[in-house]
Parts: sequence; C-alpha cells; structure tokens
Amino acid sequence: MTGLDSLPPGARARGRADGFSDWLVGSAASRRQLTDRFIETFEAWGYGFVVTPLVEPLDTVAAGVGAARQSGLFRFMDSDGDLLALVGERTVSVARVVATQLHDGPFPLRLCYAGPVLRNQALNTGRRRESLQAGCELVGSTALTADAECMALAAAALERGGVHHVQVDVGHADFIPGLLESAGLDEPARDVVLGALARRDLVSVEAALESTDMADAERRLLLAFPTLRGGREILDTAASGLRGDRPTHALQELAQLWDLLDAHAITDRVHLDLGAVRDWDYYTGPTFEVFSEDAGFALGSGGRYDMLLSRFGAALPATGFVLHVDRCHDSIGRRDGAASAPWVLGVGWDDADAQPIALDAARRLRDRGVACACNLSAGGDADLHVTMHDAHWSMGGREERGSIDAAVDALSPREP
Amino acid sequence: MSGLRIALPGGTLLEGACELLDSAGVIRLDPSRFDRELSVTEGGAVYVKVRPTDVPVYVEMGACECGIVGKDVLWESSRACYELADLRFGVCRLVLAAPRGSPLVQGVWPASLRVATKYPESARRFFAARSLNVVLIRLHGSVELAPATGLADCVLDITATGRTLAANGLIEVAEAGVSTARLIANLAALKTRNEAVGGLAASLRRAAASRRAEGAA
Repeated sequence: MTGLDSLPPGARARGRADGFSDWLVGSAASRRQLTDRFIETFEAWGYGFVVTPLVEPLDTVAAGVGAARQSGLFRFMDSDGDLLALVGERTVSVARVVATQLHDGPFPLRLCYAGPVLRNQALNTGRRRESLQAGCELVGSTALTADAECMALAAAALERGGVHHVQVDVGHADFIPGLLESAGLDEPARDVVLGALARRDLVSVEAALESTDMADAERRLLLAFPTLRGGREILDTAASGLRGDRPTHALQELAQLWDLLDAHAITDRVHLDLGAVRDWDYYTGPTFEVFSEDAGFALGSGGRYDMLLSRFGAALPATGFVLHVDRCHDSIGRRDGAASAPWVLGVGWDDADAQPIALDAARRLRDRGVACACNLSAGGDADLHVTMHDAHWSMGGREERGSIDAAVDALSPREP
Repeated sequence: MSGLRIALPGGTLLEGACELLDSAGVIRLDPSRFDRELSVTEGGAVYVKVRPTDVPVYVEMGACECGIVGKDVLWESSRACYELADLRFGVCRLVLAAPRGSPLVQGVWPASLRVATKYPESARRFFAARSLNVVLIRLHGSVELAPATGLADCVLDITATGRTLAANGLIEVAEAGVSTARLIANLAALKTRNEAVGGLAASLRRAAASRRAEGAA
C-alpha cells in the first residue's frame, strides 16, 4: 500500500486549515521584527498606533470594498444572526474609527496599524489566505503635501525594514477616467475601456478604442498605456494636445507632487505612471504602488480616498497606504536566505549550590541583551558552565576559564 | 531582452511562438530544442516551456516576467497578469456544437441542457446571459465523445478547422469567442522591468502586425 492510498480523501495537514501557514522559530521572529521596523518608522513620523478588530460587520466592510471583493472574504453569522466578516484589509476599519470616534480632530490626524488580514483565496494557488499588513492613514487634509508624505513614508519604512531597490510608482486615479470623458466617450464606452483596464487586458482596451470615435491626442495617450511612465518630463509629453480639464488637472497635481517628492529627496526612486490601473471607485486623487526589483508583486500601495469617510458619516479627506509585510519578508528572505533561529546562550551548573550563581549570571547577561536558557538540572551541556568557585565557557571555539564576573563580561556584547 | 524569463506554451502554440520570436528579431529558437530541455538560456534571457495552462501561473507569481499563451487559457484563468499584445497566431474559436438531431441545430434552445466542456469558466460566462437550466460537465479531453455516448447534449469546445467536430458528427451552433496567442506580463515586472518588457512587447507586436500584412497580401 502506498502512502497516499493509506490516507483518507480530504486528509488535512494535521489539524491546520488549508491555505494557512505556521510561522516557526526564526521566520516568526524576523517577520515580527520587520513589522516592528515598519511601525517604528510610522511612529517616528508622528503616526499614532491603533488596533482595530479582526472582525467587522459585513455592512462596514461593504462601505469600503465592492461586491466582488466582499465575496473573497471569510463571512459568517454570529448567534444574533448578524453578518460578520474577517477583515480583508484595514483601511476601512481605521476610517470607521475616525468617522465615529475621532471626527472632532485635531486634524490632520495621523494613524498607523499592523495586523493580519484574511482572504478566502482558492486553494493550491500559491496565494496566502492570511497575511500581515501594516499601514498609515493621514486624515483631514486635501493638500498634496499629505500625499507626498505618505509616499515618502512608505519608501522610508521599506528601506528601514531592509528592502532594497525600492521603487515608487505614482499615478492619479482621475487621469484615465478624466481622459476618457474629455475624449468624448459616452458612458457605456468608458465603462468598457475602464473594465478592460481593470482586468489589465490591454488588447481589449485597444480594440475598444479602435471601434470608438475619439480625438487623436487622447487615443495616442491611451494606446501608449504601458509606456506612460517616467520622470517629470512625461507630464509635458502627455499634456501636449490634451484639452479636457480633468486630465489636465490630474497632470498639474502630479507635477506639484513631483516637486514635493523632490523636497523629500526620493525622486531618484519615483516613476510617474499615468497608466496606473487602480480601483477607480475607491481612489479619488494621487495613487501609488511600491515595488522592489526582486519581488513579483507590489510590496505596498496607497493613495487618496476622499469619499470613504463620508460613507461612515464624516466627510473628511484622507490619504494613506498599506505595506504587505509577508511579501516584503519573502523578498528579504529570498535575498538573504531564511532567517535562522536567534542564538541563545545555554547556561549550566554543576551542583545545586551553584544553581543560584548560574541563575544570577544569566540574569546579568540578559540585562546586557544576551538571550540565556538555563539547564533544568545539574550538569549537562552548556555554553557557560558555573561552579561554586568559577566558570568555564567556550568562545570562538576556545575553552576559557575564569571568575563569574569575567565570564559575564566576556560573553556580553561589545560596546559599539 | 536583458535577463527576462519568458514562459512559452508547450503544444500547438510552441512553434508559432518560436517563429514569432525569430521574426521579431528577439531570438532564434528551434522548438525541438525543448524536446531535450525545458529551459533554454539564450541571448541573456531564459525561455521555459510549460503547459499552456501553467503560463499565467508562472507569470502571476513572478517566476517569469512574461509569457506567451492562448486567450482560451486566459478565459479560464483567475491569475492576474497584464495582457499586453495580441500576437495574432494560433487562431481558434470556442464554439457550442451539437449533434445533427439536436434542437439546437434548428435554432431552438431547449429549457435544459447538459454541456460537456474543458472550459467551465468560459461556459459559465457564455450561459450566464441566457436563462437556461444548464448543467456543465467538466472533462479534460476528447470532449467530442460526450454527445455520442449520451454524457451530454452538446459541447463547448475549441476548434481551429472544425474537422474534429465534423468527424464526430457535431455541428457548430454558436460562437462563444475567438482566441489568439497573447503576450502577458507580471504586474510588478511591467513596472520594475519596464524597458525590457515594453521592448519585447513592441518587437512582438510589430512582427505580428507585419506577418499578418504579409499573410493578407
């Protein structure tokens, strides 16, 4: 009988739900440290840490994400018959908190968060069902300086977390819809093009544009879709021949934003991306995505969403972003290799009288930042072995012997 | 095409993909090379031959920056990729076909219908617009046999010439879509490797257009 035949159909990895992961010693720690680096950076920029529930009423979730994405959530009913969902992102939760509890300001209000999000992804696709997100929301300002701050902060957090070759792609949610409107496309035709763009099906975009009557400047821009990328100079190229107010205004905002990003000294990592495909129902102004050369997915994304808070009864402008901690962690892991378990100093003693001395030595070493695990009985292997009179320890492959104080000093980290 | 990894579809599209890459001046690859090796490094790029349905998987997950695959595979795939260009070869059609005696052939849509197909997602969408009581039966091959054996009333299947359908006594009733080979790209790669990916797209698009012009002349 082969191994497979002996297993019942539908057998699970001993007790763990399919599509979820355990994080073991080493990788769990490096993932937590990465999250800490992100939060530290957010706090250093004045963003206050908040925690929102893992569960939200389905109505709350529905205020933020469209029907298609709701169906990708884990949804359930509690004993009162209320429909609930495990959160698939956390911006909606933070927006709810601001609109219902912090609506009196003071503004601008800077908040940050980190926590798991869950998506009911199909199995065996390589996609995670649970992942960790960390993000910031800057509420109460319509100024482009707020958008620039979020972009600079996202890049700073990734770099602080150890992600290399960070690249920020900046777009504008109103550029393409505005371009389609000013090109004279009627609403059904616009929906066809926007729908194809949302599916990232540029072949259909092209076909739709060929079959519609529109001005050359706009058609040229839309057909150049994947190449509408570059530095500030592409704004002038794009603006030539353009007549509509909406796309022109979007280009003007991007020009101002470029100068603000220059003030943050990050334009060497910024590309303007006029063809950025984002959720046009959600975003209302500048948007951005963050990439790293060694990752096949965006590591973070964000933008201005001025309509969301009004759905919770507080008409407040807002901009923000999310970082995908697990994708960042994957990217760093591919580069540096998987994180190994942190080093722990084993402390032993030779008889019961020496145990208090060994425990005291461990206490002193821990105070100096050395992780120590004490033997649970006398004798046994140890990196530091304590007797009534002295200690011996191994360092750099050499056996050393001396007083307890000498051992603690020798095993403590050197002052930088 | 500095350092790109490109997924090519094994099977009927492989030869056309190699021809197009050649006529675009990208690379000269003999398709038979893939009989011996699944991965070919040539001209600074890596070409891997995978099953057509796996091309979007490699590209979405970032294992390849670009891929060439039939639109029929993309209809079925839930993978998020950019579809950059219609490469215009590998033309085939997804059609509904029924045996001679079926009311479908007379243009009558029966109230309930059992449909055998290798394309359940396309079938779901095709029938979504028609309020019929449709039972989809997913098969993995030789779909034409299903009506003859009584497994299904009709089939929704890909046909290039119509010969296989005709040989099995099936008559085309409706066309659900026309498929050609497409160039797809990873979402991040279009941003982080924009010049290489954009350059590949431009060369293949040019070559596809000029080959079609030649074909028409």
